[in-house]
Amino acid sequence: MKHFEVIIGLEVHVELKTRSKLFCGCSTEFGADPNTHTCPVCLGMPGVLPVLNRQAVVYAAKAALALQCTIHSYSKFDRKQYFYPDLPKAYQISQYDQPLAEYGHVAIVNGGEVMKTVGVRRIHLEEDAGKLNHLGQRLGDAKGSLVDLNRAGVPLIEIVSEPDMRSADEARLYLTELRNILSYLDISDLRMEEGSMRCDANVSLRPAEYVGSLEELPRVEIKNVNSIRNVQRGIEYEVARQAELLEAGERIIKETRGFDDQSGRTYSQRSKEEANDYRYFPEPDLPPLVLTDAFVQEVAGSLPPSTMALREELREAGVQPKDIEVILSDQGALTFWRQATTLFDDARLVTNWMLSDLSRLLNAHGDTFATSPISPEGLVELLNLIKRGTLSGRMAKEVVDKMYETGKPAEAVVKNLGMSQITDGEAIKKVVEEVVALHMPVVEDYLSGKDKALGFLVGQVMKKTKGQAKPDVVNTTLKEVIRAVGEKT
Amino acid sequence: MAIHEFGVRELADRIRAKELSAGEAVAAIFDRIDKTEPIIQAFLHLDPEYARRRAKVIDQLSAEELQHLPLAGVPIAVKDNMTTISMPTTAGSKILKGFMSPYNATVVDRLEAAGAIIVGKTNLDEFAMGSSTEHSAYHITRNPWDTNRVPGGSSGGSAAAVAARMVPAALGSDTGGSIRQPASYCGVTGLKPTYGRVSRYGLIAFASSLDQIGPLTRNVEDARLLYEVIAGHDPLDATSLPQTVESGRPSLPDWRDVRIGVPKEYDGEGIAPRVQARYHEVLALLQEQGAQLVELSLPHTRYAIATYYLVAPAEASSNLSRFDGVRYGFRAESNELLPMYERTRAEGFGSEVTRRILLGTHALSAGYYDAYYLKAQKVRTLIRRDFELAFGQVDVILAPTTPDIAFQFGEKSQDPLQMYLSDVYTVTANLAGIPGISTPAGLIGGVPVGIQWLGAALQETRLLEIAQAFEHLWPAQPWPSVGGDL
Amino acid sequence: MSLSQEQVKHVARLARIRLESEDAARMTVHLDAVLEYMTQLNELNTDDIDPTMHVIPLTMPLRDDQVRTSLPVEEALKNAPDRRDNMFGVPRIMDGGDR
Repeated sequence: MKHFEVIIGLEVHVELKTRSKLFCGCSTEFGADPNTHTCPVCLGMPGVLPVLNRQAVVYAAKAALALQCTIHSYSKFDRKQYFYPDLPKAYQISQYDQPLAEYGHVAIVNGGEVMKTVGVRRIHLEEDAGKLNHLGQRLGDAKGSLVDLNRAGVPLIEIVSEPDMRSADEARLYLTELRNILSYLDISDLRMEEGSMRCDANVSLRPAEYVGSLEELPRVEIKNVNSIRNVQRGIEYEVARQAELLEAGERIIKETRGFDDQSGRTYSQRSKEEANDYRYFPEPDLPPLVLTDAFVQEVAGSLPPSTMALREELREAGVQPKDIEVILSDQGALTFWRQATTLFDDARLVTNWMLSDLSRLLNAHGDTFATSPISPEGLVELLNLIKRGTLSGRMAKEVVDKMYETGKPAEAVVKNLGMSQITDGEAIKKVVEEVVALHMPVVEDYLSGKDKALGFLVGQVMKKTKGQAKPDVVNTTLKEVIRAVGEKT
Repeated sequence: MAIHEFGVRELADRIRAKELSAGEAVAAIFDRIDKTEPIIQAFLHLDPEYARRRAKVIDQLSAEELQHLPLAGVPIAVKDNMTTISMPTTAGSKILKGFMSPYNATVVDRLEAAGAIIVGKTNLDEFAMGSSTEHSAYHITRNPWDTNRVPGGSSGGSAAAVAARMVPAALGSDTGGSIRQPASYCGVTGLKPTYGRVSRYGLIAFASSLDQIGPLTRNVEDARLLYEVIAGHDPLDATSLPQTVESGRPSLPDWRDVRIGVPKEYDGEGIAPRVQARYHEVLALLQEQGAQLVELSLPHTRYAIATYYLVAPAEASSNLSRFDGVRYGFRAESNELLPMYERTRAEGFGSEVTRRILLGTHALSAGYYDAYYLKAQKVRTLIRRDFELAFGQVDVILAPTTPDIAFQFGEKSQDPLQMYLSDVYTVTANLAGIPGISTPAGLIGGVPVGIQWLGAALQETRLLEIAQAFEHLWPAQPWPSVGGDL
Repeated sequence: MSLSQEQVKHVARLARIRLESEDAARMTVHLDAVLEYMTQLNELNTDDIDPTMHVIPLTMPLRDDQVRTSLPVEEALKNAPDRRDNMFGVPRIMDGGDR
């Protein structure tokens, strides 16, 4: 098999959660009735002009700084021109050769260690297009399509990476970290399934003997994949497909491919009659965007701690690398964890309960840590009962289920279930004596050396105490009582 | 004097003084329009009902309230490339036939807020591309001085309506001379303000970096009155200038304090001898008054047409892409998208617009951008610098507005390049972003000719004062006889 | 000739304007003459000259992030040639766009 190096670059579009659109005052709210969030500007009516939203610039600058980019004091907007029904003016206002920010990077982390640094080539601001609803089954259906322009003009940032990733897994880690970083900035909903974060992946294979530039390698662009998992799958498929072609001595064609979720394959999107010619030129309706040092300083001052700092915080608390990544990937989880660990000093027990039982329940009910019916205080109350020995681990699992179901605090649930662990040695001894008296043949088996017989007797005691007896007390008491019986006989 | 003969100031003063009602003014204007419009055809839409309703509102105001309305009750026409909610807006194109804008252009709102009454929308070359108004998709407009001649363009309807005294004033737009050239051809005053001085919000874009709205009137003072109403910062236009607009009574200059630049590039090749002679006559008169004439050179003027006809079509090709048959306007039916686009635009645009879209698309296309669009924008910098240097030496530049008087129908439209070359004296102000005003300089063989005053950026007030002083100096001429009223 | 009829047809496709052959031929003649005229710009050395992006120096004004009332959907759609379910209808998309 020939050796190929996998070259991957990602272009990520992120919708900014400003209240109004990039160039007009229409609401950006998702899910409104078709064309109810439109005005002459975002409809591309004759005579309209764009006016830039300050908040979008602030959000873009936040992203740029968090991704270690240099923000240019002078950037400009350009028109990217093409005809499509979801693009009202037949040009998109974007930034072409002088973007808002450049030269950033993202450190990707695996197993608690920084694995590599992926370059961020540029970040620019642009407007989103509208939405097409295809009648019939698909694009090209005879009934045509319907255009909804509510999304037209919603602000986007495009984050273009350097072609620094060498595997689908690295691409996954980059995207995950990118999403982590952006989520703490609170500038976007980052919902890939709703399209508020979208990813195009450029994939090419470099044969070992290739000496030319990366730019000249035939590149395949996988368009608009709707989850990080699918980006990874799409790249894996594409790498295998291209390797097979190259090994068969065939050429890779530069093209755009879609990804099919069902089959996990990429497929060629209709080849273009002629190459795209976007005829970029400077947007005459918008003067240059000049950002002062003071502005950049102010934005920098508003940034939350970096994901690296958050990792350090969790690591110092004794959280395992794998768990750190899980908590970090969900801002709600981190907030939950922080609140719980202020109230309870065993951070590992908090982490374990959050990521096992509570996560299981949240997933099952479609909830998140941010919306969890069990609060950090509630979880801590439960953990205190375990720590005091009132509940066994097994009992606590039952209690947490009920807490989730009923919304009641741990103590109340325990009381309701009549479920508190019997630690009183006398009470247990009474039950043990009853059990021993009832099952003398078994006791004799045990005495004659059948160790397994003890398990049965323990089981009988637990049954009689409805599982509330503390197991280690039961064990010792049983052995004591049997020893006494043996001495008698 | 008949009501329709009053200028803006005269009408507004009388209406504010309640000597004349807005209703009477509107009635007189529509009488005049009824008589002359069948000959001139200056309008694409007229709305007497709307005008009467607006007049009623004005007439109900108290004398005190009227004091705050500089254009109280003044009937005004608006070029049909500015959006109006009350009337259709077509830009003279079939592709916008019947289009009803859901919003008003900023200038329209400002006129109405100042008490003006918009009576109709004037004819123009389709999307303001042309110099004769022959390229309107609807009909031609005739020059009131000689109905065999064009009124100029692209604001030909506005210029003709003002010259024929159908309205005391009209708005035009000027991308490469489209206010000043028809003003010259029709013997009226036409002001193109500094780029960014008047909001372009609601002006259907032809070339965004060159377009500017301005007034056409029968005297300089009226031009100033309209200018003061429509100019000033607009938050809806990001290229709108923040500087405040001076207003108040002009102080006319003493000619001995005026340094007038006389650029040699505007006084030679290509100019008709009769226009050149008139230009020299004007210069001599000014010199006689004590004005200091300063010969100067604007050396890159000869590249202005080539520059302009790359920049303007490039921007136009982009601005006109939105006319795609999807959200508004004309659509050629087809059961597939691509042929729908291609037929809509082929059938919806006239040939001059198509020609410029193709030219502009080519200038921006892969492999040609640097050689054409970028090159032109660099030469534009040189043209701007010429003017910056010149305005270090002089207060104002005086030049002919056009190389010749209004031409006859069909005379020039066959050869696009020849047509483009006739814009040579006007495009430079747009390329440099500076203000220019064309004022009448008498008749040549019964047809008017104008001269053009150019000022430094934002120097409109000074420019208007100088132009007004010249107006006092130059003997007044009679207005053309249209509809047998003289 | 500095411009071929093929180039004119290519540009017309980019601009989404159908050109019949005779129109293409006529346009080619006109545009060729105009472009020929443009070549005079090459007389000027502009290597060190900045292009004019904005003729009057100005920096980007910024708007506050405030929601303003949108158009009633009726108004937004009133000029639409093909209006369906409060959306803009378009015929089927085979190869209609650049995307």
